[in-house]
Amino acid sequence: MNSPTEQEILRARDFWGAIVLFFLSVFFLWRTSFIPLFGQNRAGVSGADWYNSAALVPFGIFGALLVLSLVLMNISIKAGGARLALTRIGIGWNRSEALRFSTLALILFFYIVGLVPRVDFIIGSGLLITALIFGYHGGRSDRMILVTLIVAIAGLYAFAAHLPRSEWKAHDDDWVALALWFGLTLWVLATNRKDRVARAIPIIAILAPTLLVLAMAFGFRQNVPNRSGLLFSQIEYHYFVNIKPLWSR
Amino acid sequence: MDFIFSQLAGFGSAFVALVVDPLTYAHLIISVFLGITFGALPGLTATLAVTILTGFFGNKIPLDYSLIALLGAYVGAIYGGSYPSILLNIPGTAASAATAMDGHPLAKAGRGGEALGLTTTASFIGTLIGTVALLVFVWVLLLISQNIASPEKALLALFGILLSGTLMSEDLVIKGWISGLIGLAMAMVGLDPLLSEPRYTFGWSYMLSGFQVVPVLMGAFAVPQIIDGMRHMNVGQMVALHGRILPNLASVRRYMPTISRSGVIGTGVGALPGVGEDVAGWVSYGVGKTVSKEGDKFGKGSLEGLLSSETANNACIGGALIPLLVLGIPGSPPAAALMGAFKINNVIPGPTIDPDIILRVVAIMVLASFTMFILGLFTAKFFIKILRIPQTVFLPIVMVLTAIGSFSVGGGINDLYLMLGVGFVAYFMNMMKYPIAPLVIGVILGGLFDETFRRSLFLSDGSLGVFVSRPGAAVLLALNIALIAAQIPMLKLGFARLRGKEV
Repeated sequence: MNSPTEQEILRARDFWGAIVLFFLSVFFLWRTSFIPLFGQNRAGVSGADWYNSAALVPFGIFGALLVLSLVLMNISIKAGGARLALTRIGIGWNRSEALRFSTLALILFFYIVGLVPRVDFIIGSGLLITALIFGYHGGRSDRMILVTLIVAIAGLYAFAAHLPRSEWKAHDDDWVALALWFGLTLWVLATNRKDRVARAIPIIAILAPTLLVLAMAFGFRQNVPNRSGLLFSQIEYHYFVNIKPLWSR
Repeated sequence: MDFIFSQLAGFGSAFVALVVDPLTYAHLIISVFLGITFGALPGLTATLAVTILTGFFGNKIPLDYSLIALLGAYVGAIYGGSYPSILLNIPGTAASAATAMDGHPLAKAGRGGEALGLTTTASFIGTLIGTVALLVFVWVLLLISQNIASPEKALLALFGILLSGTLMSEDLVIKGWISGLIGLAMAMVGLDPLLSEPRYTFGWSYMLSGFQVVPVLMGAFAVPQIIDGMRHMNVGQMVALHGRILPNLASVRRYMPTISRSGVIGTGVGALPGVGEDVAGWVSYGVGKTVSKEGDKFGKGSLEGLLSSETANNACIGGALIPLLVLGIPGSPPAAALMGAFKINNVIPGPTIDPDIILRVVAIMVLASFTMFILGLFTAKFFIKILRIPQTVFLPIVMVLTAIGSFSVGGGINDLYLMLGVGFVAYFMNMMKYPIAPLVIGVILGGLFDETFRRSLFLSDGSLGVFVSRPGAAVLLALNIALIAAQIPMLKLGFARLRGKEV
């Protein structure tokens, strides 16, 4: 059998896309039916007419999406997409690409959900930068898995140990992430002494988040994540107590 | 005549106010430099540059400085994309894809310095053409827009989404429409603008205020770029640069008609709602190939081909700002990011915008184009050096920038969850060749569409006649219908047959 063209692969994926879109449209049309359309009473107050209802435009949008999902499915079936849809290609399964995407997705997930709210921003971001450059620069799958495990451990620990917002100030998760970052950096330097990129990783990982958070907090005066973090709380304290008075007097 | 003089006087005073402020230069040089860097690094885009800076220049920085930084980065990034196009044959941004067609063959022929010098000059002139058009047409349209009411606004918003979906689709046009509708659907989340009825909040109080524009922009443009770019790739073979990067005035004079034509095309395409610099570059390149005497040399190292695309993509910037400022409808994806910045600063672009802001935007554009020209000529060697930095090294820093930028604009950690969710969805949409720009335009215009559509019906007691009884609305309705009808196979076939009979 000849290998499918890019167009055929696209149509096979469109088949799945159309199915997902169809069910999403139906789901949201059902959810939209909860919004009063014909001026029902709400808590004794008469609602608006149909043409002013909050459901009118959403009904139009999801109705149009439903129709377009059927059109897309029709195009896909006519182009042979349904036939290819259940094959490896139709599902879009490519082992190395699947590994690359899923490890990256996990790293980003644990960074945003676990590290950013709970761990010092410089430490969490330093760990992320080290993990991403080391893990993906050479395109080696063993490195991708290793760095995903490291970020996942740091993120999971922070998430599990300090789930509620009231516990986000705790510092034990900062120490865990710092230890993992330090360990990974040592590993990178020990195993890749001759690699210029590897030698640059610790410099980038320390400088980039530090400069960014300082510029954001004290230059642009914007909000920054986790002000009570292990390093940032010290920086903020010394900025306001020892440095700022130098020009504020 | 009085109108022109008053315009020039207003522009002059805004220009002088900027020129005498030393902080203007600090913001301008840094932002244009950052913009060129973003444009020059393949994998980073002009939209991303403006979006990320929006996070930094939130509502705590004066609006003037925010505008300088964002417009400077926008102008710089569109120009910066030409470096990798010419030297690596890899477009730095989608806007400079057409530039690679002739720029790279020129560089391979040992004329890289000349190509970069001409590109710098053409981008500078193109930006100025777009800016002059902005200064003139924005006022004409503002006068017209005073008569625009809810029906026209609703149909214009719909037209922007449909047109963006139609022109930005690489694959099927309906994918662009689906993308725009998903954006519209996202804009429906939260309290509705007329009755404060909660929609799709699923009991989560954060959702009551709806999806914020900046996290959606960051998620839609940055996260897929990061996921896609984090793969090992050898930096392409860079062509050695011969000759000094200087503007070749003789060539500029010779190709002035091409530059002027491309500037006008770029501005016109930019003024279309939701259509960006990449379309402007390709349209101008296509027109140039058709009308030029040396059309057969296009794609083989033609200076005219290079100038056609490079002038148009920069002229598009001024054009894209016209619908943004006059109607509140972004003319391109980076302009959509700019709209996010306006919203953060409580400036509502549209017929009620403060005219001083428009004059300041024009003055900033002129200064930004001068800065781009000077930086382009004197620091080109630096930008050529950074082309060697692998994506796997700078994209992790972009991820950190995105996270802190998204967090800082107000919504806190929930905005980061939203950014990540939108990012994953946008990645899969990219993979299946759904354009992302219509989605973002949909999110931005969704609220306007919902409010004005229902208000129109409310004022007419539910009569749909309100969309045809006003001349402006009738024209816009006809355009919307034509845009959809043009894609229906049966109608396409009918038109083709009719054309066949005429012949």
